[in-house]
Amino acid sequence: MKKLTTTIVMTLALVTGLIFSPSAMAQIGEKKAERKANKDTEDFRYEIECVGNGAMGTYLVKVWSYSKKPTVATEQSKKNAVHGVIFKGFAGGGQGCVAQKALASDPAIEEQKQAFFEDFFRDGGKYMKYVTVSNDGAVGEGDRLKIGKEYKIGVVVSVQKDALRKDLEAAGVIKGLSSGF
Amino acid sequence: MKKTLLAICSILLITTASFGQAKKPTIMVLPSDVWCNQNGFMIEYDNQGTKVKVPDYKRAFQSSSDLLNVISKINGLMADRGFPLKNAESALKSLESESAENAMLTSKGGASVAESPVDKLKKQAKADIIMQLTWVVNTTGPKKSITFTLQGLDSYTDKQVATAQGTGAPSFSAELPVLLEEAVLSQLDNFNASLQKHFDDMFENGREIVIRIKKFDSWDGDLEKDFGGKELGAVIEDWLKANTVKGRFSTTDMTENMALFEQVRIPLYDAGGNATDARGFCKGLQKYLSAAPYSVTCKLMMKGLGQATIVLGDK
Repeated sequence: MKKLTTTIVMTLALVTGLIFSPSAMAQIGEKKAERKANKDTEDFRYEIECVGNGAMGTYLVKVWSYSKKPTVATEQSKKNAVHGVIFKGFAGGGQGCVAQKALASDPAIEEQKQAFFEDFFRDGGKYMKYVTVSNDGAVGEGDRLKIGKEYKIGVVVSVQKDALRKDLEAAGVIKGLSSGF
Repeated sequence: MKKTLLAICSILLITTASFGQAKKPTIMVLPSDVWCNQNGFMIEYDNQGTKVKVPDYKRAFQSSSDLLNVISKINGLMADRGFPLKNAESALKSLESESAENAMLTSKGGASVAESPVDKLKKQAKADIIMQLTWVVNTTGPKKSITFTLQGLDSYTDKQVATAQGTGAPSFSAELPVLLEEAVLSQLDNFNASLQKHFDDMFENGREIVIRIKKFDSWDGDLEKDFGGKELGAVIEDWLKANTVKGRFSTTDMTENMALFEQVRIPLYDAGGNATDARGFCKGLQKYLSAAPYSVTCKLMMKGLGQATIVLGDK
């Protein structure tokens, strides 16, 4: 009986140790932060600004994303950049930056094409095709801010807007200039 | 049963296909009068004592490589968006060669091509929407920047239907063609966004056109002629109310000799499901006025997709 109790106690200790090991805890924390970051993207909780004239067919933008984990915020910047170009647009500013309107002119399109966008913006989804992080995702000095318990990270991202627009038009998500003619 | 179903499906398919295509407006890029004036591409002539300046597009196209670069860039980008533009320089050349051909053309019997003064007047390079282009080079010390303006002007309603304007970043080293290319790349998306809005509005509320009514002086009637207690002008207004989209039009001018209707919203398709324009729409009015009890003979003239003139009293 004593032997059985010892075995049970040891097994429980092992399982608990596995579950609550530092690496497992970190993974759980990361997943939670990713889910929160995805929710923030849906809620437009990010900022997007123009940082210069990109190469032909691209927008060069800086995206500010929020997360408790700096790595999650940096990674989420790609998703936020594409999301911002489709639904939000961005203001102009210095460096000859010109304000650009969102690709989707109809604000209701996000709800109307919910299934499409859920698949498009899933982790590792099609949005990755249109986005490139500048400087290998290195965060510049002054672009890593600690606000309360969160980090606000600014990453410069290039979005291939021409290819993105063409694919969204082909998928019937947004209208092309010659639609209906 | 199967045959009936097949027939119904075919009719539905044909109807859908014919409703799918509205008449596509043509767009052409032209330099603005301001740009032509600032760069010395104007012709001056004496109009009964008043000196009048008009842009000399042909000389501008032949002399300014910057203009050629900008127009070529815009044409290329618009073609990428699935909306190829009419090239103004080519349109001018076509007009010249057509005039030369007409002058030389004779039939075997010795007859030449008929051309009225109105036909001659109408021989212009034209498009439904003109993309009017202006740029100014700003210089501050060694720095240069470009202020770039692109306006989409409806040739018939005179309304600005699209626009994009802005000043680029000042540069010490960049050359003018590079600054111009940057300006086109950064402004064209905004221009197209406003153009798209104009098209969306057209699909929702109908094409906006202008209708002019005139009368030949040989006709003894006028727009105040009474038909069963209603003046002819009012009869035309009633017809427009019944046939425009949501009854939308404005009577801008109405006298006994002429009427001007602006902001007339016409459906993009006629009752048969075919794409229509100002001429197609006004044919309906012409037919209505020609029939009893009015029995007025009318001449119908058109200008592009958005302007039509009906002259009462003769053909």
